[in-house]
Amino acid sequence: MDGTGKGGAMIEIAGLEVVFASRGDRVRAVDGIELAVAEREAFGLVGESGSGKSTVLRALCGLAPVSGGRATIAGLPPPRRRDPAFARRVQMVFQDPFSSLHPRHTIDRTLAEPLVIHRLGDRRERDRQVEAALTDVGLDPGFRFRYPHQLSGGQRQRVAVARALMLEPQVLLLDEPTSALDASVQAEVLNLLSRLRRERGLTFLMVSHDFAVIDHMCDRVAVMQGGRIVETLDHAALARRQVREDYTRRLLEASSAHAPLALQEEGGA
Amino acid sequence: MSALLEVEDLRVAFDTPAGVVEAVRGLSFTLGRERLGIVGESGSGKTMTGRAILRLVQPPGRVSARRLAFDGQELLTLPERRLRALRGRRLAMVMQDPKYSLNPVMSVGRQLTEGLRRRERLSRAEARRRALAMLEAVQIRDPERVYRAFPHELSGGMGQRVMIAMMLIPEPDLLIADEPTSALDVTVEAEVLKILDGLVRERGLGLIFISHDLPLVSRFCDRVLVMYAGRVVEELKAAELERARHPYTRGLLRCLPRVGGPRGDLATLTRDPAWAEQGAE
Repeated sequence: MDGTGKGGAMIEIAGLEVVFASRGDRVRAVDGIELAVAEREAFGLVGESGSGKSTVLRALCGLAPVSGGRATIAGLPPPRRRDPAFARRVQMVFQDPFSSLHPRHTIDRTLAEPLVIHRLGDRRERDRQVEAALTDVGLDPGFRFRYPHQLSGGQRQRVAVARALMLEPQVLLLDEPTSALDASVQAEVLNLLSRLRRERGLTFLMVSHDFAVIDHMCDRVAVMQGGRIVETLDHAALARRQVREDYTRRLLEASSAHAPLALQEEGGA
Repeated sequence: MSALLEVEDLRVAFDTPAGVVEAVRGLSFTLGRERLGIVGESGSGKTMTGRAILRLVQPPGRVSARRLAFDGQELLTLPERRLRALRGRRLAMVMQDPKYSLNPVMSVGRQLTEGLRRRERLSRAEARRRALAMLEAVQIRDPERVYRAFPHELSGGMGQRVMIAMMLIPEPDLLIADEPTSALDVTVEAEVLKILDGLVRERGLGLIFISHDLPLVSRFCDRVLVMYAGRVVEELKAAELERARHPYTRGLLRCLPRVGGPRGDLATLTRDPAWAEQGAE
């Protein structure tokens, strides 16, 4: 199944505008952006709060209104309401694993639910898939009958990733997937996401405020400000700090306060 | 260096149905007029340490210490009234998110002047003058507008500056800042830290900077305590962070990605149960 639009791009955004209107105020959250993400590419959107980066993701999957332009994934426009065909292609992982899992459903129910909704497999087959999914995200199958409150933040985010992958989508939309996690747990979840992308040939569109995280995960990164893309950079350009725009430079400069220091090797004076 | 704060064998324990849980387990340090960072991941006890110093731990939490003295006064046995006077005037705390720390239905001006008018019995005009001066000191460009505004009319960075202004109006000797910039954008964070740094230098106050972010803290503080499971596992001069010895401290630095860094898996941290048992020598 090819499923990509013309030109081979998995995600295509052209002239996208998202306008929210409330009490006479019109807020232009996304103000005309263009981007194309190839199949199996990992593409990042980085920016500060209010830059419109999350709104782009939400518009792609029908959670924010498309006021102008086009946005498609695998040739599919954002679904108006629940659309099983879209859900099988595209899944989303959210920032906060504390609010994105149903607190009164067991992990088993959370993971089996997409299969039930899409009428995939019988109970035995679903059981097998739930166990396989847990193992695949590095959790013991013993977690199946626990509730979210019995899990740590990192374990919950692993469950959220497992849930997103139950229908074997081609595309994952990742909205700050590790910013609620401790640094050491973030490393584990990022490693997990990279491995799953490699193994399954997934296409990622990832949003983060953290320049280091987004650069580590993505082939190309678009810097957003005020609903627009300021510039798009690849990993090599970032490594050499080949930056055109002042805003990007300011953002990189401010981010460097969080950059790790080089450790002296043990035994070295 | 005269000790502003002396902490010896500080413990915070919670009685739970499953038994006693110790959030802080025997912490000791002294603080002068310097910038001390307390760093750890969630559950390390760093926030509880800050709250315990101000005696803000609520039951069922219990705080004990061999010594917890601010400017020579033992805080744990101080009567509540005298403690409250200290807290308002000489000890102050800035928390993570201004959204939850400011009163949403009171104008910024009233919140800033409330304490001044009550404690120092200043006239309305004099209190207003002091508040506006402090808003200027935290680099708010239009202090008159912010003075009249309500918290929801301010951005996150603006709200956090207001919080810092509020805490600094009584000219405290010790400021405890618990993740003061984690809710802010990086460019705003840089400004807020610069303001904080300037104030600490000019006014010579002691600062305890509590954070999960080891690189950030080491760039901002003089000294860093690394906490793990309620204990200090390593104490370092901030300038010598790259000489960290403890596997936990080193692991915390290694697991971070950096812009332009190598691809491939990030280092992960294998937690050794022994870390929780032994503190720093």
